[in-house]
Amino acid sequence: MLPLRRFSAAPMDISSGSMHGGAQHRPPMDQKLAALASLDELLLAVQRGSRAALKRLYELESRRLYGIALRITRRSDLAADALQDAFIQVWQNARSFAPERGSAAAWLTGILRFRALDALRKLGRETPSDDPTLGDRAEEPDIAAALDLEAAGRALRRCLEALEEKQRRCIILAFVDGLSHAEIAQRLPAPLGSVKSWVRRGLLSLRSCLEP
Amino acid sequence: MIPDNAEELQILAGEYVLGVLDPDRAREIEAALPHHAELGRAVAFWQERLQPLTALARPVEPPPGLWEQIERRLAAPAAPSGAGLWRSLALWRAAAAAALVVAAALALYIAVAPPPAGPSYVAVLHAPQQAQPAFVATGGRSGLLLRAVAEAAPPGDRGFELWAIAPGAKPQSLGIVPADGRIELGRLPLALGQGTVLAISIEPKTGSPTGQPTGPVVFSGTLLPAR
Repeated sequence: MLPLRRFSAAPMDISSGSMHGGAQHRPPMDQKLAALASLDELLLAVQRGSRAALKRLYELESRRLYGIALRITRRSDLAADALQDAFIQVWQNARSFAPERGSAAAWLTGILRFRALDALRKLGRETPSDDPTLGDRAEEPDIAAALDLEAAGRALRRCLEALEEKQRRCIILAFVDGLSHAEIAQRLPAPLGSVKSWVRRGLLSLRSCLEP
Repeated sequence: MIPDNAEELQILAGEYVLGVLDPDRAREIEAALPHHAELGRAVAFWQERLQPLTALARPVEPPPGLWEQIERRLAAPAAPSGAGLWRSLALWRAAAAAALVVAAALALYIAVAPPPAGPSYVAVLHAPQQAQPAFVATGGRSGLLLRAVAEAAPPGDRGFELWAIAPGAKPQSLGIVPADGRIELGRLPLALGQGTVLAISIEPKTGSPTGQPTGPVVFSGTLLPAR
């Protein structure tokens, strides 16, 4: 108990101001690489039982993850629950993170997205937003601007653009907005069977395009 | 349950990562993940490659006090008698020793147990990505016996429920796991076979209200033929 208390009683030296403000003035690529390397290392430290590493992960990743949860759930209470559940799961299941399989950032995103989808499903999924600033979901988000920041994003954008438009919209509505087959069918609108087959064929094309 | 065909496996993993699968199917994948290396790789592929799309969600500051709530939850339920690094170290040493004993006992059991009618199967159930077994099950046409081989208890007002998931089928409940961790069943609602997954999920004390798992799968293992 004592060592844990000591960690939490000594706040780490990263006020939100210095972290987010400072980051924008540095070369973006260096900053990005440094952040990714340390996320992997932090998660490996969490595997070894470091509560301080978990706290640091929260400090580095909670804004990004909460933003994703909010995008999916459209409700701040559900998004907060999802973020909380996700960090409990990160602590309990850290051992299932294998750095040779993928990055810590993607692993964290996976956990958070499933907890956000769980929170939605418990309420029967169709839930009105509680935040007026969230408004209607963007039908066609600006993929180019978001994906061109890094090489992996550019590769994904190239492959997404090679898809038929309906396949692309299905995949983006599912991944970014957390919509189910049925909700996509309602949104487009299109028959459920068509949506299922667009998702399948879109995934197959993406797979062969993305594979090294 | 999990397709053998490589292309179908990729699609299923993609649908799982996208989040379009219905909750039962998604839970089935989650239960299979620790035991299915190819599925694990396929899921990791999609998580990694679709990750850049998350940039479409703008980062937002979470509500204040959320980390403190997480810390309180981490401190509270798991180990009532004072969780800490030393305790967990000791626990790990005990767990490692127990695992050896269990392995030896299991080998002995398989060697000397009277052969049941028809083929028989063994499964070791453990938490995802952990080597330490929590339950051992043996079964065949004549029934199923599940026994706890480590201390495992559901949180406060909840219960453990045992499920059998035959390849390609929905989970079938085999009942609530009593406090002594032992279930003996003479008749089974399905035929056990190689590849059937046994899973234990956290449910209300009286069992899942829907007849399908509703809580997280905490232990699982795949039936293998005992020779």
